[in-house]
This record gives sequence, structure tokens and C-alpha cells, in this order.
Amino acid sequence: MSTVRQYELVYIVPPETTEEAIAELHTQIAAVVERFGGTFEKTENWGRRKLAYEIAGHREGVYVLEVINGPGALTAELDRRLRVFDLVIRHMVVRVDEELAVAERARTRRKASMASRRIRRGLPPEPTEQERNRRLEDSDDLDGPEMGFRGGDR
Amino acid sequence: MSEFESRGRGGRDRDKDKDKDDKKGKRTFFRRRRLCKFCVEKIDYIGYRDVKLLAPFIPERGKIQPRRISGVCATHQRALQVAIKRARQIAIVPYVTD
Repeated sequence: MSTVRQYELVYIVPPETTEEAIAELHTQIAAVVERFGGTFEKTENWGRRKLAYEIAGHREGVYVLEVINGPGALTAELDRRLRVFDLVIRHMVVRVDEELAVAERARTRRKASMASRRIRRGLPPEPTEQERNRRLEDSDDLDGPEMGFRGGDR
Repeated sequence: MSEFESRGRGGRDRDKDKDKDDKKGKRTFFRRRRLCKFCVEKIDYIGYRDVKLLAPFIPERGKIQPRRISGVCATHQRALQVAIKRARQIAIVPYVTD
């Protein structure tokens, strides 16, 4: 009935949260995901990171990313649940399957057009190791002085 | 090398400016049109989680850099805008800095 889509869920918990509390939170999320027949693609803990701005009095937070496959109703429920948890100071659910598909399509299209162009010139479809190295030497003027980062951590 | 390149991109404009130069003898500066970073480096997916990718397009104030300055093409600016707005929501990138 409902189509399975891919979503990314990112949530932030305070830095002093224990590992157990995070694991507990994960099992609660997993319960919701399971109820809607979704599956986890992967779970990633980014650890402590500086927040770009203050959230609920915190300047740092532990980021957790979950990539979930499931129906759209699942995200509505997740969103509702996460808003209630006091532990979660910020969360966001984003649908990613469409964008990734677009990126994938662009990549294959470019590859195909490159191969056809190369064949027309009588070259092998894939660039050789030598050509790749030459391209690296050419691209020396890609970043100007404005490429430095000022707006956050690092 | 540079001669070849500048002829390749917007060669018509260049000739027009050159004519003007000859007539009025006015000095004009040529700033090579910045190319879209995402097209040049063949970045297909602009993810909101990649700070290093987004950072160059967020000047000091925290605003999104207009593409007339950064040279990003319209397609990628649209994707970039979405990515930056998402990154702001989860405090990866600031809304404002002062």
C-alpha cells in the first residue's frame, strides 16, 4: 500500500548524555520504526560536536544519524515522538531517496556522455591513469582566497 | 594556456570589451568568470551534513552567498540553498553570526 522511502533522521542530545541513554533512545526509535514496518539502513554516531548556535542552553551536542527505509507515516510518528522526548534537543527528518536518485542519474549520464565522446575521438572509454594525473596538475586555480571557512568550527 | 581559456568562455564579450579599449583607451579589468564549483568538481549530491562543502558559500555573516558572487550555476545554487537551510536546522551551520 504505502511505498517505502528512504529518510535520514538526525537528532541532537546534550553532550553529558550517557551511552546507555542514547542506546535506550535508539531502542525506542527502533520500536516505532518496527511498528510501521521500516528498517534501519545504518546508524551513525558523530559524537560531540560544537553547535553553530545555542540550543536550550547547550553549546555542544551529540549528533546521531539514522538512515531509515519506511513509509511516510513513519516519519510523522517519529517526528511526533521525538518532539516529546526531553532528551532530544533538536531533530530533523529528511527524505533523501529522490535526491540520491537524481545524483546517481546525473553521474551515470555524465559517465555515458564522457565515454561516447572519448570513443568518438578514438580513445578508450575510461581515462587512463596518466590522463587523470595530468588533470590534477591543471586544476591549481580552483580555490581562491574566499574559499576559507570562517562561519563555524574547524 | 590562459589565452586559450578566456577565448573558450564568453569569447564574444571579450572581443567587445577589447574594441571599447581601442576606442576610448580606457582601462578595463578582466575578471575571469568564476565557474560553478559543483560543475567543475563534478559533485552531484550536495548533502547537508558536509560542512566542508557548504562552508565556502557561507560568508562571515552566516548568509547564503549569492551566486553572482560565488559563480555557482542555478541548478547547483538551488541544491546548495536547500542543503544550507537543512544544515542550519540541525545547528551544523549558523543562521546568523555577529
